[in-house]
Amino acid sequence: MTLDTTPDVTGSDATNATSGRTPGVVVTAFFDAYRRHDVDGMVDLCSDNAEFSYVPFEAWGKQRVLRGDGKVRTIGKAIWAGLIHAFPDLTVDVHAIAESATGDVVAEVTIGGTQALPWGAIANRGRHYDEPHLFVFRVADGAVDGITAYWDGAGISRQLGHLEVD
Amino acid sequence: MAADAGAVVAAFLSAVADHDLDGAFALVADDADVRLPAAGVNGDAAAARGFLHATLTAFPDLTVRARRTVVAGDGTVVVELTLEGTQAGDYLGVVNQEKHLDVDEGWLFRVRDGRITAIHGYWCQNQVYRRLAVRRLDQPAIV
Repeated sequence: MTLDTTPDVTGSDATNATSGRTPGVVVTAFFDAYRRHDVDGMVDLCSDNAEFSYVPFEAWGKQRVLRGDGKVRTIGKAIWAGLIHAFPDLTVDVHAIAESATGDVVAEVTIGGTQALPWGAIANRGRHYDEPHLFVFRVADGAVDGITAYWDGAGISRQLGHLEVD
Repeated sequence: MAADAGAVVAAFLSAVADHDLDGAFALVADDADVRLPAAGVNGDAAAARGFLHATLTAFPDLTVRARRTVVAGDGTVVVELTLEGTQAGDYLGVVNQEKHLDVDEGWLFRVRDGRITAIHGYWCQNQVYRRLAVRRLDQPAIV
């Protein structure tokens, strides 16, 4: 897979007065850290209370539904570390980044890797996946303050040979 | 340009919410870049229209609620939205059990010269299948 380390950042010139970095530059640095598998670096680019929502993370129990929602420093960090652990060759291919005048940044990113360990309910079959993702960031005061992401979990499951919905 | 792009996408989604696909696709370039990976759709405006027609037919009470919109300066618009509806017909291989669907999705649009030139829709088909009582990806007709 080709890694695009210098994606086009298009949109506003909303340079943050505190950090001197535009929201797009902050998000580009975030994905650079992700590409290096530097989870601490990813977290360090986020505010202490940054919100986190990985929408496809969902498990239906008998009494409640568990979701991938919470804070970057609790839920997000654990999910990123777990993904990199299960897919040690994980790749992060940023296709496009665009930002609004108000500090929101959107990015289309393909994430992929070869499974080396069980991941959630998906047993390790040694298969590879590549799946397109849409990320929506909120950036304030030079730090990521919110991350939401969307992708097709069924697409990943199929590629990894896991054909049960749950 | 950014404000115009946001208005074009808002008009598109409003027309879809009104089940007015003629009105919606009057705003879309015929050769628009359409990617709906969860539905296996890659194509042009006709492909997007076909998918939305199938969705509106299977869920005649479908509602579209925009939760957040990001309008970038380059004509990129992302809308985080919630689709809700009750199944009333077979849908993409899933038999009708009159289940209720509510799914959060992210849709990215690109707008040039007042026309939508790209539609990329992101959602999790596992979430759709859970709500429609499908248990296996290779057997969506068996519930």
